Amino acid sequence: MTALALPTGVWRREALTEVKRSLRLPQFLLPTVLTPAGFYGLFTLALPHDPAPGFAAATLAGYGVFAATGPALFGFGAGVAVEREQGLIELKRVSPMPAGAYVGAKLAAAVTTTALALVLIDALSIVAGVRLAPATWALLTLLHLASAIPFALIGFGMGMRMSAKGAVAVANALFLGCSVLGGLWIPSRLLPGWMQMIGAWTPSYHLGQLARVIVGADTIGSPWMHAAAIIAMTVAGAAWAWTGWRRSPA
Amino acid sequence: MTDDLAAVARLSGVSKRLGGRAVLDGLDLGIRAGEVTALLGPNGAGKTTSVALLTGRLAPDAGTAQLFGLDPRRPAARRRLGVMLQSAGLPDVLTIRELVALHSGYYPDPRPLDEVMMLAGIADLADRRCGALSGGQARRVQYALAICGRADLLVLDEPTAAMDRGSARTLWGTVRALADDGAAVLLTSHDLAEADALADRVLVMDAGRIVADDTPAALRARAGGSVIRCRTALEPAVAALLPAAREAVMEGADLRILTGDAAGTVAALLVADPALSALRIADATLEDAIATLLAPAQERIAA
Repeated sequence: MTALALPTGVWRREALTEVKRSLRLPQFLLPTVLTPAGFYGLFTLALPHDPAPGFAAATLAGYGVFAATGPALFGFGAGVAVEREQGLIELKRVSPMPAGAYVGAKLAAAVTTTALALVLIDALSIVAGVRLAPATWALLTLLHLASAIPFALIGFGMGMRMSAKGAVAVANALFLGCSVLGGLWIPSRLLPGWMQMIGAWTPSYHLGQLARVIVGADTIGSPWMHAAAIIAMTVAGAAWAWTGWRRSPA
Repeated sequence: MTDDLAAVARLSGVSKRLGGRAVLDGLDLGIRAGEVTALLGPNGAGKTTSVALLTGRLAPDAGTAQLFGLDPRRPAARRRLGVMLQSAGLPDVLTIRELVALHSGYYPDPRPLDEVMMLAGIADLADRRCGALSGGQARRVQYALAICGRADLLVLDEPTAAMDRGSARTLWGTVRALADDGAAVLLTSHDLAEADALADRVLVMDAGRIVADDTPAALRARAGGSVIRCRTALEPAVAALLPAAREAVMEGADLRILTGDAAGTVAALLVADPALSALRIADATLEDAIATLLAPAQERIAA
């Protein structure tokens, strides 16, 4: 018997619906959008008296990655686990929707939420006197939005394997742990050696270093090494996510 | 199952172990177009696992699962499948119209949205969010998702659980019409009256195997005319020898006797045990027929 073709627009409609859903959940949206801006404002603008623009730009590099981490880890990690327990993944799985459309839609929602958080952080940085060339802004924004991808894949794999409670706890630990150890809050070169060593295993560290390269701040190691590390971690994350989807009997 | 060449979905020699237990062991099962097939059996018989294999949520350990000639795990195979699962949820912040429209978009030739809403009896709920529905309303939305794509195979898992009787009857009517139009329907239900009213064919499962494959009427006929239940000291093996008795089985504290002539059997029964109590006589139902099929072998004494 013949296989029927995939109707056009399935991926786009799935993504639009998912973005609409996440915008209707203010209890999830507000914390993930406001937390990074709040922290950036507190540590960069409020604490240091008269911050130098170079300092604010270097910090912006790290906090933008931080802003991408939350929606990706909570939307995917905790969100997917909750949806699995509610039977929503089962609903999708028996439908003819291709699995990739579900992941793509979740990713679109995480990137949209990240974009909202970035608007706030970028606005605060301009208030703090950060001035970057348009091309630099574009590149930095692109990197910050793309930072959601490795975390989203890690979160997705968690969501397919863990209970909702477990996934929330692990997402919280990764959210804070990766950000501190990866040098997103305090630059890595100011961290003790053992923290730097562990931090080198987080995507946050490599993404943060790449962002610092873009804004012209001091960095550790070569940009190519960081790019290679982040690609490797993304590929590993994709394998973790895919095997999670395949093994879950839900 | 010689006529299963016509099957739109089938399991062939399927074995599946879950949690260290063999749930299915060499199961053969085929679902034909234009028929409502009811899959019945006790909990743990393997109904849920069979449905999960046919809908692509599980892969067999041995044997093959086929949906329209394809592996059910391929989305292309599921473009002709509509599923209503008991265990599935609904995304609570979407409206019903948004959700049904999204699912319609997965299919190459979906039914018009208004028609789906009307068939499922949810036209008046279209702008309600899924999180604000009663259990019965949520089931009707699940039904809408199953039929929105004009699927050639409908899998309905306990479709009317949590529905009031009126909604259930409306649903039966539309399912019957879809099957008469040529759709294949696979139904699992704990409500044997539902299976009796709706099914053209009943598959009874026990311990991972099909133990009966027949029409509801033929199964009822197999059970004989009447069922006698009573409390008695009589052994089933002895009761089975009473006049016209076809079978005698213990059912909890009761002895249950299937008979072709209730009056004759009761008369002899009262002679054999004048002290018997709680005597009841009823027409044999599909439930009796299935209870007979499923009674453990050591308790079953055929006459």
